[in-house]
Amino acid sequence: MPSSRSVTRRRFLGASAAAGAALAGSYLGSSSPGLKAAETKAAPGAETPSRKAVPVIDCHAHLTHHSAANYDQRDRQLIEAADKLGIDRLCCSILTPKKPATAEGFRECNAWLAEAIERLGDRVLGYCYVNPDCGRDALDEIRRCVEDRGFIGVKLYNEHVCTEPIVYPIVELAIELRVPILHHAGHGHHPIPGQPNISDGGHLAELGRRYPEARLICAHVGGGGDWEWTIKALRHAPNVFLDTSGSVVDEGIVDMAAQVLGPDRLLFGCDMSMTAGVGKIRAARLSPEDRQKVLGGNMMRLLQMRG
Amino acid sequence: MIVDTNAYLGHFAFRQLRHNTPDALLELMDAKGIDRAMVSSADAVTYRNTQPANEELAAATKPHRDRLIPFAVVNPFYAGWKDDLAICHDELGVQGLRLYPKWHNYALSDQCCLDLIRQATERGMPISIPIRVADYRQRSWLVDVPDVPLGEIIDLVKACPEARFLLLNGAGYTGSPLGKPDSGLPANYWIEISRLSAVLADEIGQLISRLGPERVVFGSGMPFKYPDPVLVKLEVLDAPPEVKEQIRGTNAAGLLQPLTPTRSASEGGERQAKLANR
Repeated sequence: MPSSRSVTRRRFLGASAAAGAALAGSYLGSSSPGLKAAETKAAPGAETPSRKAVPVIDCHAHLTHHSAANYDQRDRQLIEAADKLGIDRLCCSILTPKKPATAEGFRECNAWLAEAIERLGDRVLGYCYVNPDCGRDALDEIRRCVEDRGFIGVKLYNEHVCTEPIVYPIVELAIELRVPILHHAGHGHHPIPGQPNISDGGHLAELGRRYPEARLICAHVGGGGDWEWTIKALRHAPNVFLDTSGSVVDEGIVDMAAQVLGPDRLLFGCDMSMTAGVGKIRAARLSPEDRQKVLGGNMMRLLQMRG
Repeated sequence: MIVDTNAYLGHFAFRQLRHNTPDALLELMDAKGIDRAMVSSADAVTYRNTQPANEELAAATKPHRDRLIPFAVVNPFYAGWKDDLAICHDELGVQGLRLYPKWHNYALSDQCCLDLIRQATERGMPISIPIRVADYRQRSWLVDVPDVPLGEIIDLVKACPEARFLLLNGAGYTGSPLGKPDSGLPANYWIEISRLSAVLADEIGQLISRLGPERVVFGSGMPFKYPDPVLVKLEVLDAPPEVKEQIRGTNAAGLLQPLTPTRSASEGGERQAKLANR
């Protein structure tokens, strides 16, 4: 039986639907596709009520590990930045600074995240971070976070390539709990320092084929190396979504993703590169309807899987 | 008025660029409210002999000099660079330089590079240096070109106090002497903001406080990059309107004025008059 904390997600989903929800903020929205987006400049924080349809959801964010003395300040700065940029909700995880994460380490991170959700209100939604190496401990933690704490998904990093069998029980549990998995990813043509086990779009497509019921999110196309490679690798993986976050704002990145994958599979994200995340969506040639899907509609569909 | 210090025309060897012709770039600039742009050839990044690319750039921008300001890419380790520089400036009307020391395999401290910078400075040309061309994580398998270390920039600005440097596509300044007021470095460099934050760490705000708003300039990296992210940075930046105006264009426009009288000084004056009237 879910605890009262799980009301967080339900309250969010209910409020969003009832209100016709929030905004496509001035930095993100566009009354017409493509180049005209720049015409929507307005004062910081301004909203455009006529374009309200879905909340703007950053599908990839992080709160600060408590080993940083100023973690609370940094978390509040993130909320302030979201306020400025018209982002309604941030889907966050807290990762351990040292990898691979221990069970104690990720449990601590997830407990802090649960506290932050209480502290910061419904602006923050939580991904449960685990290391697949931890087996039963990882599975128990996911179930606790989703069922008791109202977390909205699972975050996996680079402890294992996602096609390794050790990851399968986690995918199967995410399917059972009806939550998505946000998976760190990147594809470089030179070794990425310190990340020998990084997954890429091809791995995620393969995992998606193995588990067609799973909903997988390939992280930060703007921070994962050759983005053209990644987009092409995901073309035939209909249950893998692509997160637009990352510091790379190469012209055409979102346009190509929308063209190859379709706008229904793109999720707006920043991964802490806030203006990069917002700016590339504003720049992309998307219809108003598709822009709203990317900004929040598609993520809402993932959140509604669990009900 | 917005002056983009970081723009390009032409093709890049490893990725298709759109909006890379004068007409297409001007259309993009119009859509984004960008008035003028300092442009160099993207082809020249990988050409051995860069001068044909400079000549193509000069010809392509000739009908649009009120908006597209040509910058030449010169490799001081390549034969004939002095001739190329003279032709670019004196005959083709090129107003600045872009240097790619890592792509062209020379050191900023090489005597030939210092000679190039001196000769360009004598002609009143600002020297722009892209710290990177593309994110290191997406390099082609064919190349492994590193970013220009900020330490090498520090040595350069000290070695050439008379020159004026535009640092493009860089990051990490707030942790470097380049971003500190008491570093003892000459105030001969300007920092472009396309990779700096305007929220969270707010690196742009920190640089404004430490170096002064006159040392920070707008640049997008178009058409390699979408211009919108840097426009958003300026929009959310917590700074007075007059400071934002300096960053948008006033500072960059000032860099187009020659330091010393040259044969193009009168042209420069006309350009400034046009700028003031825009």
